[in-house]
Amino acid sequence: MPTALRRAALAALFGLSLTGFAAAQNGSVNIYSYRSPDLIAPLLDRFEEETGIKPVVLFANNGLIERAAAEGENSPADLILTVDIGNLALAKSEGVTQPIPEAALENVPDAYRDAEGHWTALSLRARVFYVSKDRVDAQALSYADIADPEWKGRVCTRSGQHVYNIGLIASRIAHMGEDGARTWLEGVRDNLTGAPTGNDRAQVKSIYSGECDLAIGNTYYMGLMLNNEEEPEQKDWAASVRIIYPDADGTGTHVNVSGAILAKHAPNKDNAEKLIEFLLSEEAQEIYASTNHEFPVVPGVPLSETVASWGELKADDTPLTEIAALRDAASRLVDETRFDEGPQN
Amino acid sequence: MPPAANLVLALLAGLPILALLAVALTGSPSGGFGATILPAALRETGSLLLLVGIATSLMGLVAAWLVSNFEFPLRRVFEWAFILPLAIPTYLSAYAWVEFMSFTGPVQEMVRAATGAQTLRDYWFPDIRNVPGAAFVMSLVLYPYVYLSCRAFFLMQSGTVTAASRALGASGSRTFFAVILPLARPAVIVGATLAMMEVVNDLGAVEFFGVKSLTAVIYATWINRADLPGAAQMALTLVLVIGVLIWLEQHARRRRGYLMPRDSRTPPPRTPLSGGRAALAVLFSVLVIGLGFAVPFGELMSTAFGRFVRGSVPEGVWAALIQTVWLALAGALVCVMLGYFTARRARSGGAPLIRLAVLGYAVPGTVLALGLALPLGVMDGWLNDASRALWGGSVGLVLSGSVFALIYAYAVRFLAVSHNGLDSALKKRGDSIIDAGKVLGASRAQIFFRVELPTLRPALAAAGVLVFVECIKELPATLLLRPLGVETLATYVYSQASAELFEAAAVPAVLIVMVGLVPVLLAGRLQASSR
Repeated sequence: MPTALRRAALAALFGLSLTGFAAAQNGSVNIYSYRSPDLIAPLLDRFEEETGIKPVVLFANNGLIERAAAEGENSPADLILTVDIGNLALAKSEGVTQPIPEAALENVPDAYRDAEGHWTALSLRARVFYVSKDRVDAQALSYADIADPEWKGRVCTRSGQHVYNIGLIASRIAHMGEDGARTWLEGVRDNLTGAPTGNDRAQVKSIYSGECDLAIGNTYYMGLMLNNEEEPEQKDWAASVRIIYPDADGTGTHVNVSGAILAKHAPNKDNAEKLIEFLLSEEAQEIYASTNHEFPVVPGVPLSETVASWGELKADDTPLTEIAALRDAASRLVDETRFDEGPQN
Repeated sequence: MPPAANLVLALLAGLPILALLAVALTGSPSGGFGATILPAALRETGSLLLLVGIATSLMGLVAAWLVSNFEFPLRRVFEWAFILPLAIPTYLSAYAWVEFMSFTGPVQEMVRAATGAQTLRDYWFPDIRNVPGAAFVMSLVLYPYVYLSCRAFFLMQSGTVTAASRALGASGSRTFFAVILPLARPAVIVGATLAMMEVVNDLGAVEFFGVKSLTAVIYATWINRADLPGAAQMALTLVLVIGVLIWLEQHARRRRGYLMPRDSRTPPPRTPLSGGRAALAVLFSVLVIGLGFAVPFGELMSTAFGRFVRGSVPEGVWAALIQTVWLALAGALVCVMLGYFTARRARSGGAPLIRLAVLGYAVPGTVLALGLALPLGVMDGWLNDASRALWGGSVGLVLSGSVFALIYAYAVRFLAVSHNGLDSALKKRGDSIIDAGKVLGASRAQIFFRVELPTLRPALAAAGVLVFVECIKELPATLLLRPLGVETLATYVYSQASAELFEAAAVPAVLIVMVGLVPVLLAGRLQASSR
């Protein structure tokens, strides 16, 4: 009987808590992760190798902050890893965070960290256009362009309520005001090929199949698909598409972050701080870049070859906290414009 | 047992709902209902429920009726094969079907090979990513609920009614519509209710189909607007609507008794079908099983196979497999015991409280999990305060951070599954046999072990299997409530899929189906051998 199972059996029999074991052991760090375990595994493996501290991960894509809040001071969580600025802001407002020591954050640009150190970004991802190599000639486009009737019946994206699109729409509100963003969103909606479905990878496939010419998606999916050895057919899909950084010569491309917070009641606070330090080290930042095809948050760390081949990213410098505050309005806009029902006229 | 037990049970089952109510009251009244998309979401969820309800009822009833009352080629194979789709979670079936019908799927590849077309612009192909498509795919894996309850009904059914109908000169179809259908109604409704509960709970499958369901709106309210109270308001409305529907249904048939002489040793003789009719029966069976099981399982297998061959099966999968089986067994045991208790209680007064207790399945999994995490967290706080005061040490998260929370969630969510099955079995069997035991002077224990358990064995086994399979497939509550370091096959699949690497999830996905198949087939044999 494997140890984990025996533990589960003991826990069930005697009402003991599994987390009690994990927290009591020296040399571990408990992570609540909104990020898929696969994407952070190479980083955590390296961390364990170097420090001997064992990372224990609990993944869920929703509700981890709420869980930590409900657990209160007994929470086993040392660290929460997120994929969206909204979660970082929420964690702070829910009071489940404590300041990360300044020393750990010295390499992080001000735009990508909380002023008081309650959260930090670990990597950046740009929300870009995937366009068909065959059917799109434009070399540069702006977000505003895809609301133009010229794109009617040619645009695809995932649900407007997905956090990645909510972030983008929030940044549109920041630039254009709510009314401007509404008109823009209605324009994009009417250019869609149908009701939004699928994930970012599925959009690439839709371009490959000829269903649409332009899709909105995150950069690293393209990086992962172009380098997918397990499913080589995805390379073909990705090869039919090129990337355009929207507003590259204007206000810049919208970026979102993956990030970390230090849990308020972290039982292994020292280890958690070590992990955050490690994740912001040059070595870890290079892993973010080379295996996940994300943009490192620490300046000066080289990009992956694939990402570098897309040219230089000019990131929109709207403060992330402002975007986080506009998410509620963005979500309402998606509802009010019935974006997820597809073209209205 | 005193009625207080009913109250305790209702309170335990209602704890997450009460916690949600408390959360909902902290929000502004406009929060949840301010969502302008609500009417559209209600419409889409409503039509999805309606379509799935009708389709599963038809497929399940006809399948059960065919294999129970007629003899045709391969009938014995179809009898158990009809259950197979039950092992496939809706989110996996949805993924597999969308892939199967997609541009890079085998169907379109054949179309292109045959026509020489290059891209989707060159030919027309139906898109299944919409409400009817979702209803189609979901019904194909959910009809076994209706099939199982109807087949159990037909197996316990004495042949006298059908025989009487036929003796009076009614045709086969007239017997079906005038006698079988009305009699089987409770069984159909039990099965269809379970099927529809799966639809309400589902988030993964509707996402693939681009359907705006109420559950999706609840999530958007919670996640994107950080408006948990608003989300709770909508979730409670959903529970209320479903509660009213169930009440109406039960109210409508409250006066009907199903008292009839039963003799399980003389089931109705099966009428042999011949020629065209036999061919139709075979065609129906092949089509339903093929579309419900062979297509999605084949699609998953074809992806997983390559991984098995290349040996790139992640190690975590096997640990997850063991944990999954363990948790599902515990969940099944708890649910069957509770379900027996509630089914018994429901027949002896206290029915309203019991009906409340089994309402948990109407709550979407994640919302249920949150409703459970909040009060359990508070109780853990008390326990730790007490333990610190008593012996100066903390006991950790005994309730919210252990498998206790998970089993609790399974019990709340799947009590309805075991309760409904056992309730209709008890109704069918009646209490006269118990009364006979009492008259003959048997003790309570004797009656329980020598009459109650043996007569309910098929229903108990069926309930246990259904809950076991449900627990294996359960995703949203498991994801949020599992203790640190515990991974089930479903959460494993989900964590891979959330990185948009669904292909990498194919191996654990196939395992989910195979683990679910074992008990499903066992129970099928058990039920069949009891006739």
